[in-house]
Amino acid sequence: MIRKLVRSRFLFVVPSLIFLAIFVLFPIIDIFRMSFYQWDLLTPPMFVGFENFRMMLDDKWFWNSILVSLKLLVVSVPLTFFVPLGLALALYKETTSSKILRALFYWPYMMPAIAGTTMWKWILSYDLGILNYIMKTLGFKPVAWLLKPTPALVAVSLVRLWGLTGLLMMMFITGLQNISSEYYEAAMIDGANKWQIFWHVTFPLLKNTNVLVLTTSIAHLFRDFAVIYALTGGGPGYSTMVTPLYIYNSAFTQFRIGYAYAMSVVFLLISLVITVFSIRAREAR
Amino acid sequence: MKKIKLIDVVKWTFLIVMLIFYMLPIYYAVISSFKSINEIYSYPPTLFPKKPTLQGYVEAIRGQDLLTYLKNTLFVAVVATVFTVITTVMAGYGLAKGEFFGRIFLNRLVVLTLFVSAQVIMVPLFVIIRRLGLINNLWGLILPAVYTPTATFTAIQYMKEIPNELLESAKIDGANEWQIFWGIVWPLSKPLVAALTIFSFTWRWNDFVLPLLVVNRRSLYTLQLALAVIQGEYGGIPWNTILAFSTLTIIPTLIIFLLFQRFFMRGIMAGGLKY
Repeated sequence: MIRKLVRSRFLFVVPSLIFLAIFVLFPIIDIFRMSFYQWDLLTPPMFVGFENFRMMLDDKWFWNSILVSLKLLVVSVPLTFFVPLGLALALYKETTSSKILRALFYWPYMMPAIAGTTMWKWILSYDLGILNYIMKTLGFKPVAWLLKPTPALVAVSLVRLWGLTGLLMMMFITGLQNISSEYYEAAMIDGANKWQIFWHVTFPLLKNTNVLVLTTSIAHLFRDFAVIYALTGGGPGYSTMVTPLYIYNSAFTQFRIGYAYAMSVVFLLISLVITVFSIRAREAR
Repeated sequence: MKKIKLIDVVKWTFLIVMLIFYMLPIYYAVISSFKSINEIYSYPPTLFPKKPTLQGYVEAIRGQDLLTYLKNTLFVAVVATVFTVITTVMAGYGLAKGEFFGRIFLNRLVVLTLFVSAQVIMVPLFVIIRRLGLINNLWGLILPAVYTPTATFTAIQYMKEIPNELLESAKIDGANEWQIFWGIVWPLSKPLVAALTIFSFTWRWNDFVLPLLVVNRRSLYTLQLALAVIQGEYGGIPWNTILAFSTLTIIPTLIIFLLFQRFFMRGIMAGGLKY
């Protein structure tokens, strides 16, 4: 028996499998099970049936958190698509200058989200921030970036764009480098100009990369926690309170653990849908 | 004179504007970290410190226990990375080259776990860590991070490229599975091991969600957790200290990135998602 396990190489998988079971599979099963309980961590959990889900239907702040995520997506997804695409088109050739610039644009993605966000907070500060100073110098009114709902959403979107660009730009660069130069040559012989080549040759050939970038960006934006926690804490009011932050607050500041589990069920299912699209795009490349 | 093309003008204008947007926060935070308290709170803001001072750094290191946080972060990052690299390379090999029942199913499972990040399973993750008695324990930051979907997925893809003939011929020569793994597979996996080490270390260094869930005792804070917490405290840590703290924590990521740039630029497609 043991010999067979050794020969089939199953034993190599076992250590990882143990960690996978304890810290991924168990939590997932636990989400579904505990979503039917009321629990405050101190007293024993109490079975309440679908009560948590009924509560969720009536909880306007929960639906608000999904709405906030959707608002952020509407602003962020086009930004996190076209800016990295533009940078990739400008930098995909293997020259020294483009390699250096790529590294600079990639750096924010590499750095800790909290440190990066802290730097942005300093830029965006209402009375001390350099951004408002620049705007005043140029004759605009200063904006209370983190103190008013709409500017706060814009600020979150900008910081997300800043942190995510490196990854998405590199996806586009890989996609662009995989396009065979024969396509361009053929188009050039046919007399196409650069703009036509981009729209009729490059862009259609990037189809799978486009889907990959979009799903990656949606997945990241949807589950983002650190940036919003550090930048706005979900505020002002509930204006940037996204679902993971709302779940966190319900669980760890209000100790409504069972309710947080029920919301996690919905959040998990949404993440699953996004991932399925993302996996398809990845496999289609 | 060389003719300047319109497209180049557009391209470089775009790049310069973008470069300002991406670098300004870093530049301004770093130079502000060298300002004195008086200067940092004075108006109008200066683009370069009038009298550069290390006041913020001294305060960040002495006043904020930065060295304790650094020690905690390094401990977690190094130990978790060792665990992750060894178990992941082994699992990648087993999942790509194994001949056991359920191998295909487990491969699918790994792909599916790509969607499970700590943010998604925050609450049950906290509950299981609590049940294991690892709250306010640095091992509570290490063990949950050992299995990483992205890393495992990358390892499987890598191992698929190792030719079966190589493993077969070693077997015919009388090597056992253990010898094959350490004698043939591991040496062939050096690029994988390097990439996993760099990524795992960076992920743990940058991590925020897990420390936030697991640790609430100051002496166990990691750098990123401490940086987030001190900003929320009333009574005010001055901005030059906060920015000095931030600057110190981004320096290692910059060094790692510059040293191993090619790993980040190449290995990126295998794992699009951060854990």
